[in-house]
Amino acid sequence: MEGDSDNELCISVSSSQHHPPAWANRLLTFFCREDYSDEILGDLHEAFYWRLKEKGVAKAKARFTWEVIKSLRPKNLKSFYYLSLNTMIFRNYIKIAFRTLLKRRSTSFINIFGLSIGAAAFVLIFLYSYQIISFDDNHQNKEQIFLAYKERITPDGVQATYDTWVPMKDRLLADYSQVKESARIFQPGGSVVQNNRYIDEDIMYTDESFFDIFTFPLLHGNDGKVFDDLQSVVLSSEMALKYFKKENAVGEEIELFLPFEDTIMRFQVSAVLEEYPENNSYQPSFIVQMESAPTYDESANDWGSSFLETYVLLDSENIAFELEAAFPDLIETIWGVDVRENTNFKLLPFEEYYDTFIGRKDDAITLLFIGIGILLIAAINFMNLSTAQASQRMKEIGLRKVLGAVKGQLRTQFITEAFVTSLFAIVLGLIIVFLAIPSFNDFFDVTISFDQFSLIQILGFSAILAIALGFLSGSYPALYLSSMKSIEALQQRIGFGGSVNFRNILVVLQFSIALFLITSAIMIRNQISYMTNKDMGFDSESTISFVASAASFTDRDQGIVRLNTFKEELRNKSYISEVAMSRAIPTNWTRSFVFVRPDGWNGDPLRMRYTYVDANFFNTYDIKLKHGNHFLSDTEGHQRESVILNEAAARAFEFDPNEPNVIKIGDFRLNVVGIVEDFNFESLQIEVAPTLIFHRTGDHPVHRFITCRMNMSNLTERLEEIEDKWNELGSTSDFTYHFLNDRVQELYEAEKRYLGMVTMFSALAIVVACLGLYGLTLFIIEKRRKEISIRKVLGAEISGILRLIFRDFTKWVVISFILSVPFVLFFMTDWLEGYHYRIPISWITFAVTLVLVFLLVILTVGYQSLRAASSNPVNHLKDE
Amino acid sequence: MNLQLGVLEEMILIILLMKDETYGVDIAKEYESQLNQSISLPAIHVVLKRLEKKDLVTSKMGEPTAERGGRRKRIYQATNKGYEAAKYLQQKRSEMWKVIPTMNFVFQ
Repeated sequence: MEGDSDNELCISVSSSQHHPPAWANRLLTFFCREDYSDEILGDLHEAFYWRLKEKGVAKAKARFTWEVIKSLRPKNLKSFYYLSLNTMIFRNYIKIAFRTLLKRRSTSFINIFGLSIGAAAFVLIFLYSYQIISFDDNHQNKEQIFLAYKERITPDGVQATYDTWVPMKDRLLADYSQVKESARIFQPGGSVVQNNRYIDEDIMYTDESFFDIFTFPLLHGNDGKVFDDLQSVVLSSEMALKYFKKENAVGEEIELFLPFEDTIMRFQVSAVLEEYPENNSYQPSFIVQMESAPTYDESANDWGSSFLETYVLLDSENIAFELEAAFPDLIETIWGVDVRENTNFKLLPFEEYYDTFIGRKDDAITLLFIGIGILLIAAINFMNLSTAQASQRMKEIGLRKVLGAVKGQLRTQFITEAFVTSLFAIVLGLIIVFLAIPSFNDFFDVTISFDQFSLIQILGFSAILAIALGFLSGSYPALYLSSMKSIEALQQRIGFGGSVNFRNILVVLQFSIALFLITSAIMIRNQISYMTNKDMGFDSESTISFVASAASFTDRDQGIVRLNTFKEELRNKSYISEVAMSRAIPTNWTRSFVFVRPDGWNGDPLRMRYTYVDANFFNTYDIKLKHGNHFLSDTEGHQRESVILNEAAARAFEFDPNEPNVIKIGDFRLNVVGIVEDFNFESLQIEVAPTLIFHRTGDHPVHRFITCRMNMSNLTERLEEIEDKWNELGSTSDFTYHFLNDRVQELYEAEKRYLGMVTMFSALAIVVACLGLYGLTLFIIEKRRKEISIRKVLGAEISGILRLIFRDFTKWVVISFILSVPFVLFFMTDWLEGYHYRIPISWITFAVTLVLVFLLVILTVGYQSLRAASSNPVNHLKDE
Repeated sequence: MNLQLGVLEEMILIILLMKDETYGVDIAKEYESQLNQSISLPAIHVVLKRLEKKDLVTSKMGEPTAERGGRRKRIYQATNKGYEAAKYLQQKRSEMWKVIPTMNFVFQ
């Protein structure tokens, strides 16, 4: 009876077009125990054809799949042991890997230590670079956000300025349907007034749409309506904690001093922001509405003065060009045809904000490449040392081959060994990173941490790094070692020869990277020391500036009187030789512009910076007069019709300094009384900008700084004395002073941080490379012991033997050097081009690097070589 | 005799006793035809393994056939112990049935 049904089924199988779902079948075949698979799979298959006949394809298939899944119960499955096919051999691989590690401690140390340093450096760099590369990434609409700005077309070229007018926002929204949202941002500073004390804080004026454009989630408050009325203020959670000792400060009241309005206003907290990431261009503490400013109405339609930033949110980033093309018409309707000719409106993608205003993302990417370079150097150490070791493992490899190991298995073995090493290295590297983060942050004044990543991300990242590193460092040894012929391997006929060429290429690559890093670091250092040491054109050594503005007095006229008294008191101090008042100081120079043309010009006016000083300014700063005269003494009153130019301005006007020159601002004529030498009031990265310097005496409220030239001994006492005097004045702002010297140094903070990192990581790179070289030397000497001994017996000198060993290394270093030069030239030319005042690329730098690296190589290789060369040849010859 | 047997275990044991020699799919067919109720093969496999462990059935490998994709059947046969166990259960059940006061249910 059974036979009958079998035959019947046979027919139905062969005639059937349908078969069980293949994937389900495969799944079960893979996981099912061998001894059960005939029964289970056979039954399922048979049942499939039976059900196919009775219930149709769909049901049979569904049923089959369902039964496959139900069959996957633990009892039916292969044990893990069988599942991974040959765990036994794997266990052997791992065992051998550990044994090899322990057996060759010095190489293992070099490998693991080198790799972990490489990994640690890479992770540190990654954490830092990620912060910069992901700058502002928290804003969900980032790609659609644009900053509207203007360009002035002047005879000097195109000048971009990023401030716009109060009515710009409404105009853009009304005229262009592509603009979804728009918000203005104005950050004039300000203070919180608490118990009659002024505490300086950042106050941001903006529009409610700010919260639609940028992503600043609320911790407390109403998402739909952030501001209740014009007396509403939004706080950051930090400020809420600072002033109200709790995060939910909604409903609390706070008094703010608005310097732009010169008044104190009471605000009620309507919302508190969630904590936002630190890598954010806007770090609002207090947010109030534009319209909250009492004088808002006066400027609401003012197309004259531009001082705030206007952001737009577009439907798509692609229509920015379309919009820019439409802007000239807008300009014409606002100011007429003339302005249309010399003004452009542009849209700056918010993604470029960082590069435009804050720093260089490219620097972060360069650092990332340095990190990869270090990792590569460490991986090459591993590759070289394992292939070099190969000869010592010949017997093992040969035996494995004879016992039937195929290439693939040997490959797996060496890859496994690499994984074990790289896993160790990554774990060690992560420990190093954890230990190093606090000092790294301290030293470079940055705030990197793992906080922005979840534990799973960190583990995943580490796993990927370990696997990548394992593959990178293990693949070449695996290929090389597995492809040896078994007989040759057993006879140990393959000596050092084998893949010498490839190994040499790797060493050369290592040293090229290291040389590149070191040369670049030296050049960056030279540029920075050039900038910090260059004569700025003014005296920064003995000058100190005090922030002293009449605006910080409740009564401005009183303030001016008191400040002048203060100034006189300073002048009478024995240790102060000169005192000057000014609107701006070098390193904190003016950002105000005016349109000006030389008398007799009919062309377009030039847009030029201007500032105010008193008659003693140039003396105090020791700025040299090039032509003409200084301003007359302050006792002569404001000299409103005189101006002093810097050389850059004189050049821009094409003035002959020996002629009496006149400039015109509108119809107002000013006589050029003198021309001063260009002094660098900003970073040397930028060319000295043309500046007009006007005169006002200390009786004018325009001044904001008092600068003294003083004797810098007994500084603490003297500063205390001055501070006491300041505190008697009754100003609302605290005593604040700057040493000009420090200010100059601060200009190059970013560069110094960059230099610090590049130096540190270059040092690491060369250390790791030398570590590898050391291991390689040990090995080469070991291999050539006999040769060296025979040479000695035959009468070779120690120097001759040393030359023999050093010849190879010298060759490698020289080739690496030659290879690194074009990269350095390319990269450094590009980097230096970012600086207007820069050093030439000097061949001395290259020479210094070469000598430095040679010295290091000699140190690394020397001791072991010397020991080998001077050892007694008998010891190494008698063992056969 | 002290054996715990589930309902499904007992059913399949009885089918095995009926059939002399049989295997998974055949049991499923028989079960469906007798009880008018479908049953999944993995369930049968589990029960068979359990019965085998209790020594109520034995098994041997059969011949490969085409519709099984060339795989062999595992052919099950009830043991004497299996027969005893099923019979014992049946007896006990009959004895217990006799005690049920039929009237209460039939003529309600």
